[in-house]
Amino acid sequence: MPKVVVDAMAMQRALTRITYEIIERNKGVDDLVILGIKTRGVYLAQRIASRLQQLENVTVPVGALDVTPYRDDIDHDSQAAEPEVSAADIDFSVAGKKVILVDDVLYTGRTIRAAMSAIMALGRPKSINLAVLVDRGHRELPIRADFVGKNIPSSQREKIKVSVTEIDDRDAVEIIKASANQAN
Amino acid sequence: MAKRYLILEDGSAYPGEGFGAGATTSGEVIFNLNLLGYQETITDQIYHNQIIVFAQPAIGNVGINHDSYESILPTAKGMVVRDLTNISTNRLSKLSLDEFLRQHNIPGISGIDTRHLIRKLRTAGPIKGSIVDVADAHAFDQLNATVLTNRQVDQVATPKPYPNPDTGKNVVVIDFGLKHGILRQLSERRCNVTVLPWTASAQDVLNLDPDGVLLSTGPGSPLDLGAGVLDMIREVQAEIPLFAIGLGHELFALANGAELTALPVEYHGSSHPIRRIITNDVIYATQGQGYAVTAKSIDRDRLITTYVDLINGTVQGLRHRDFPAFSVQFFADGAPGPHESRDLFDEFMEAMTSREG
Repeated sequence: MPKVVVDAMAMQRALTRITYEIIERNKGVDDLVILGIKTRGVYLAQRIASRLQQLENVTVPVGALDVTPYRDDIDHDSQAAEPEVSAADIDFSVAGKKVILVDDVLYTGRTIRAAMSAIMALGRPKSINLAVLVDRGHRELPIRADFVGKNIPSSQREKIKVSVTEIDDRDAVEIIKASANQAN
Repeated sequence: MAKRYLILEDGSAYPGEGFGAGATTSGEVIFNLNLLGYQETITDQIYHNQIIVFAQPAIGNVGINHDSYESILPTAKGMVVRDLTNISTNRLSKLSLDEFLRQHNIPGISGIDTRHLIRKLRTAGPIKGSIVDVADAHAFDQLNATVLTNRQVDQVATPKPYPNPDTGKNVVVIDFGLKHGILRQLSERRCNVTVLPWTASAQDVLNLDPDGVLLSTGPGSPLDLGAGVLDMIREVQAEIPLFAIGLGHELFALANGAELTALPVEYHGSSHPIRRIITNDVIYATQGQGYAVTAKSIDRDRLITTYVDLINGTVQGLRHRDFPAFSVQFFADGAPGPHESRDLFDEFMEAMTSREG
């Protein structure tokens, strides 16, 4: 049974807090650019950008990073290839900018590592900060988020499902327990 | 019931029926536009030394119950209502409003044309009044000679620290005359609360090693509280997450360089749409304020305006640019009133949790 751990209000609140924390940490919004990792990270990035627009009346550029489908429902230890991230859709320069990288779930850290490589390939940003809606643990690389919506300690056999109203029917984060016959 | 009078500084007298205590009292006459929650209102310490005129015409119809106290000893100076309903069918009711007011020596007067009175109060500015037995020249002399204290916070805030233990986050509440709704919201979130007197220094606060600090609501003018409390706020906000409500919000603004304007007439109600700027949506909340932060005085390099009243344009919320410190003018505990701003307490909890990370 899926269990909702972040409801719509809590998700809104988390994004609001992350926005304020971004302003606190960066002493304003100068030179900020926001890059969302497809698919849901892009919507979260846009929501953060619209909050910054409301508060500071400044339009912060938002770009999308495309990641090759990375499946966490298969045993990633043995067979998943490294994810690849393409920054083909970004039509502004990141050189000298403070990049806020946004993703929905932080898990092994491999997607983030690949995303950082893709950003570095575009130019040399002043800094990269990571904002995630959910940190579920189980890192395989030395990567840590700067802004976390919610820490959800999870078992590797569980799935974390993030829904956003832009493409799903609602805003929610759910934990889906692996059923007994899926256990390895 | 005895015939009594509400008299005002301007020489007018309103005859009515007395209820509650038979005491003769004087106070600033203000009006409250809330449809619900007279018990919360009369027990809220922001009404210290004030005579409250209720716009809602039927008052008393839910009696007095143990869930709706906002303080143990109410210190309002009187209730002015159009119709007193002394029969309650609320199953929680333990007392009638009349009995409750008698026990706390607060007079009430009913049968007043509250619509006419509120129209006058809307344009009269701050005005003193008395509830008296006889509206003669002597009563007016007495009223005019009455000087109301500006030491309201000292009168109602705790002089000594006290705990409200639980097992969660350590929160220090600075008491300026707090309403219980604040403690209730913190209890719901399992906070281990220590309430400190408003004269506490930053060192007193930090010695308790709190995860967060809350500046409470309270009566009167923040300008009368002196510079010590502003120093405390500046020192504390740089160290730990801070949440301020009502009078606390006004002090938070002053501590960060903003100025205050006295409103031409105090506003007490919950009918104003309030814009939450960050998400550009509207919430409603109970408001009660005689002062507002002057929008033009806000230093944009230090504070961000987060909420604004869409009717009178007043600043309703602020946030510090460099620290997890934020404030709202309205009463986020929703007692009485809309509950939709209660998630500000969740925001406070998350600010405390996020900082551990």
